[in-house]
Amino acid sequence: MLERRGDLRMKKIYIQEEYCIGCRLCEIYCQVKHSKSKKIIKAFKEEIIDILPRVLVEEIGYNSFAIQCRHCTDAPCVEACISGAMQKNKNTGVVTFDEDKCVGCWSCIMVCPYGVIRRDLSSKKIASKCDLCVDEDIPVCVKNCPNEALKFMDKDTDEKNRIRNKK
Amino acid sequence: MRIKNNLKKNNKQLFEYIIIGNSAAGLAAAESIRELDGAGKLMVLTEEGCLNYSKPIITYFLAGIVGLDRIYFKDEKFYRDNNIDIELDTKVKFIDTDKMFLFSDDGSKYKFRKLLIASGGKPIIPEIKSVSTGTLKSGKNKKDRSFNFINGKNYNKVGGIFTLTTLEDAIRIKNYIEKNGIKKISILGGGLIGLKAAEAFLEIGIDVNIIELADRILSATFDRQASSIIEKRIKSRGSNIYRNNTIEEIYIKNGKINGYKLKDNRKMECSMLIIAIGVSPDTSFIGSGRLEIKRGIVVDDYMRTSAENIYAAGDVVEGLDILLGKNRNIAIWPLAVRQGAVAGINMAGGNKKYSGGFFMNSVEILEIPSISMGLTNIEDKEEKGIEVLKDFNPDKNTYKKVIIRNNRIIGVILVGNIERAGIYAGLIRNEIDISGVKENISREDFGIIHLPADYKKHLVVGEGIEV
Repeated sequence: MLERRGDLRMKKIYIQEEYCIGCRLCEIYCQVKHSKSKKIIKAFKEEIIDILPRVLVEEIGYNSFAIQCRHCTDAPCVEACISGAMQKNKNTGVVTFDEDKCVGCWSCIMVCPYGVIRRDLSSKKIASKCDLCVDEDIPVCVKNCPNEALKFMDKDTDEKNRIRNKK
Repeated sequence: MRIKNNLKKNNKQLFEYIIIGNSAAGLAAAESIRELDGAGKLMVLTEEGCLNYSKPIITYFLAGIVGLDRIYFKDEKFYRDNNIDIELDTKVKFIDTDKMFLFSDDGSKYKFRKLLIASGGKPIIPEIKSVSTGTLKSGKNKKDRSFNFINGKNYNKVGGIFTLTTLEDAIRIKNYIEKNGIKKISILGGGLIGLKAAEAFLEIGIDVNIIELADRILSATFDRQASSIIEKRIKSRGSNIYRNNTIEEIYIKNGKINGYKLKDNRKMECSMLIIAIGVSPDTSFIGSGRLEIKRGIVVDDYMRTSAENIYAAGDVVEGLDILLGKNRNIAIWPLAVRQGAVAGINMAGGNKKYSGGFFMNSVEILEIPSISMGLTNIEDKEEKGIEVLKDFNPDKNTYKKVIIRNNRIIGVILVGNIERAGIYAGLIRNEIDISGVKENISREDFGIIHLPADYKKHLVVGEGIEV
């Protein structure tokens, strides 16, 4: 599954908070993506109550932004995980989460400085976090953001292109 | 991978790296050594009879959440692929820090260029008076199992008395429960291990009696309010907690424990006892010499001990506590992993500094999760510059306590609602001045958006932070 993005390995989701309008479409599409039916109406009617969005919108007045797992280089959740469920994929940079290994000790929640790992109590108690939609070309939260408040890119390459274009 | 039978072959071998201990710190070190040096001969020596497994997960094994098939972290393939040799069932007896060799208990000699001591902790077992009656089924060994005192040397000869720090302990406990149809277990010690054990037993419908010397459970990290919520929950299930108490006398009948007397003279029936009053760094094999040992092995910022080419990491060391500004033993998994990784890099010729840590713990008792971190046993205005924010709702089983020193968070207790706990850990670690946003800190919907603008920006649009 991860190989698909082999050539795009360093891509991450970047937050452009000044563009976020707090519409929460990212949350909805994340829930649909991680539903059984994958269909927005069906998921919304029947499943959504049990599905935690893995992207969080924070909002005060006109200030808002959406944040999800940052897939840290030295990820504290990987370090703290006692079950081996959280792993850093050395090839893709993605912090992967194995639901079957998780025992619900909440060590990851204790150490994640972004607070983007949550308790999923819907079936068995396990952690829940962004998987970067590794089977999609672009994570659904990014793809469905109407105002480019989330961007999926490789910052290094992007920077280089920008400099090159200037020249 | 070598096994013990092949040991003799190693006798005259020199290892580039030897690691004592095959748990969190030892394994993290082995992995980071291999990132820098794929070839240098690397030997792991472990007292245990099995490959690497996660120590904190043994209570989840007891609770039936993970089976033996899933408890191992790394299989043989990992050791083979990474060119790591390992000797199981191998206890180190002696280390010569000058000539750089060590002996194992069967007399084998190992020479090393770099050594990591990651031997972890050993359970503390107090000496307790005991009274033995009856006979053993076999009748023969009565003398061997009739004790005037229970202590670290003989406790495992009495049926029903256990410690809980290794997988082997957990398997023995599980078998004993099943074989003897145990319905209630007494736990001596309401600290970290005691509570994790209680969490497991309650999960599988076994009641517990927790006996705690202090005036509350988890006294090292919980204050009275936090303890009272968990305590109430435990009691609601017919279990009990005996505070300000300890076991003064153990009764043994026919080779098995059948009761004990508390400090307050109450006599209790008991068919199974877990001794969980704590662990201490396992430095017994090091002996006197060039290694500076206080409560644990003293290390510098690079995880180096006082002896050249000898490093130490994990539960066996006294590393930097950033909140106290001095070294102390903080025996927790995440720090063991980090220290091990730092030690490994430095052993392999890299240069990485350990930036210190602070205590943290997560435990869930009967559906009430809790997280505590930093310095938590401080009350408002106890010292100059200390402020404490509290939100205590015993009827909802929730509690939030934030301890602030000179406008920086130094401790947090969360009971019931642990959402976004790590944001506090980030604030503690990065020593963020929260003077402008104090009123936000104890909000129920507390999040990144409530943080000081600079730090918020750093988290939201930054490349990443030191965590």
